[in-house]
Amino acid sequence: MDIKLINKAYGGLFVGVTMLFSCGGPQEGAHHTVDDKIREMIDSNAQAISDSVYYLDNLSELVKVIYDDVQFHVPERKGQIQAFACSECHIGALDKMSSMDEDKQAHWNVSIVHADASIMNCLTCHSENNMDVLHSLTGNTIDFNESFKLCGQCHNKQFDDWKGGAHGKQLGGWSNPRVSMTCVNCHNPHAPAFESRWPARYNTQKVIERQ
Amino acid sequence: MNLDSAKWFFSRLNGKTDTTEPDGYDQVLAKQQSRRTAIKSLMGGLAVGTAAMSNSCALTTTEKKGEQSQIDWEEYFKGNYKVMTEEEKSATVNRLIRSYEMNTGKRISMSSSPPKENVLFGYAFNISKCRGYMDCINACVEENNQDRTSQMQYIRIHEMEDGKGFNFGEADDNYYHEVPAQGHFYMGTQCFHCDNPPCVDVCPVQATWKEDDGIVVIDYDWCVGCRYCMAACPYDGRRFNWKSPEIPEPEVNLKQHYLGNRLRKKGVMEKCTFCIQRSREGKNPACVEACPTGARTFGNLLDPNSELRWILNNKKVFRLKEDLGTEPKFWYYMD
Repeated sequence: MDIKLINKAYGGLFVGVTMLFSCGGPQEGAHHTVDDKIREMIDSNAQAISDSVYYLDNLSELVKVIYDDVQFHVPERKGQIQAFACSECHIGALDKMSSMDEDKQAHWNVSIVHADASIMNCLTCHSENNMDVLHSLTGNTIDFNESFKLCGQCHNKQFDDWKGGAHGKQLGGWSNPRVSMTCVNCHNPHAPAFESRWPARYNTQKVIERQ
Repeated sequence: MNLDSAKWFFSRLNGKTDTTEPDGYDQVLAKQQSRRTAIKSLMGGLAVGTAAMSNSCALTTTEKKGEQSQIDWEEYFKGNYKVMTEEEKSATVNRLIRSYEMNTGKRISMSSSPPKENVLFGYAFNISKCRGYMDCINACVEENNQDRTSQMQYIRIHEMEDGKGFNFGEADDNYYHEVPAQGHFYMGTQCFHCDNPPCVDVCPVQATWKEDDGIVVIDYDWCVGCRYCMAACPYDGRRFNWKSPEIPEPEVNLKQHYLGNRLRKKGVMEKCTFCIQRSREGKNPACVEACPTGARTFGNLLDPNSELRWILNNKKVFRLKEDLGTEPKFWYYMD
C-alpha cells in the first residue's frame, strides 16, 4: 500500500478521534485568551464598526476634530462663553480699558492658577489685539472652539491621550460617531486643577454589617 | 379543597405568604390574593382539581383580576430565558409590563433586545484619574433599581495607600472624608464580565450565562439563590438579595431590560450588567456617564477605531488576577 495513502488513513483516524473527544464542548479551547479571540474576530470582520443609534442630549452644535489618525467631535465652545464676542466690550486698546475704576473690574473673578507667573500670563493665550481669538506660542490664531490646540502645545502627552481616548470623557455613547469632551469642558483654563470634595455617598449599612 | 386552602395554595404559587411585605419583585407580580383572584386563577390552572371550582363559581370576578391571575400563572411556569424563543421572550416581557401597569398605573418599557453583531463589550479604568468621588455608585444604584434599604451597590471604590500597591486587604471601600485623600489612590471594582466566567460554570441551574456581546447576565426568575456563583467569583462581583429589595416608587427606573435592571425579588443573585438596557442601545453605562474625571471608558473591543482599543493598544494595561485564566474584559491603566 502506498505510504501516502496510509498517512492519509491515519490522519483521518486522528481527526475522527479528535472530533470524538472535543464534541462535548465545541467552544472550549478555541481561544487561549480574550485577546486572541478579539484579534481573530477583528480579522474576520475588518469593518467591525457599530452603527448603533447615536445619543447626545443637550448639545446643539459640535466641532469636528480632524487629525491624521483620528476624527471625532467636541462640543462647541463660543456659545458657552458668557458675553462672547469679547470685542463687544474690548473695543479699545487693552491698557486704556484696564485704567478704569478699580471697583468695576470686569474680570474680577478670574485669577490665574495655572503654571508659574514667570511662564504664563493672560497674553500667553489671549491676543492683545483681537480678543475674539486665542493664539499659539508662535502667534498663529486659534479659534475658541479649537482651544485644545492651545492646551496641546504644552500638555502634549495629555493631548495624545485625549486624541486616542485615554484622557477626557466620552460624551454620548460608546458607538459611532465619537464625541468627546474638550479640555475646557472639565478644566477651567485659568485654574485647571480639580478641587477636592466629599464623596457622593457613605454606605451606613456597610458600617453596621462590618461591626 | 375549601377556599382558604385555595387561597393558601395560590399565595404559595406567588412565592410568598400573606404575612410577608411586598418586595420590589412583588411590585411587578404580586397583588392582594383575594378569594376572587384565587378562583380566577383556577381557570388557568389545569393542575388544580375541580372541587374548588364548583365552590367558587358562585362568586363574580373582575376582568382585571382575572388577567392578573393569568399573568401570574404563566409567569410561574415560564422557562429559562436562555432557551426561550423570541415569541416567548416578548410574551414574558409583555406580561411583566402589563402586570406593573395594573399594580402601579405606571407603564414601564422593558426590552429583550439581543446582542448586536460584531460587538464585544469591554471596559478600561484609569487609576490615575479616579479621585474617589463615588458619583459612579450613585448613578449605578439609581439606574439599576438596587435595593435602597440594604444599600446594595455593584461598584466598590477602594482607597489605597501610596507605596503599598494594590493591597485590597488594607484598602478602605467605605471612606467618608474629603477626597482625594493625601497619600492615597483610588481603584474601582465591579463585575468584570470575564470571557471565561467561573460564576457561569458553577451555576447548577444555568440561570447565569455569557451573552454573545460578552455581558454576563442572570435570569432572575430562574435563579434559585444557591450563591455558588458568589463563592466562585474571584472578584467579589456578585450580590445577593438577603431581603426583599425596596425602591421608593417615584425612584424606580422605568426603562428596563429583562436581563438588566428590572425589579428583583428576595433570594436571587444580581450584579453589574454593563447597564445592558443602555449599552445595547449604543449608550454608555451609567457609571461611565456619571464619572466626572473621565476615569472610565466603555467600548466595543472589536471596533479598531474605538477609544477602548486605543487604550489597550497604547497604554500599559493590566487586569486583576490574570493568572486565574478568567480573562476579565475590564482593564486598568495609568497615565
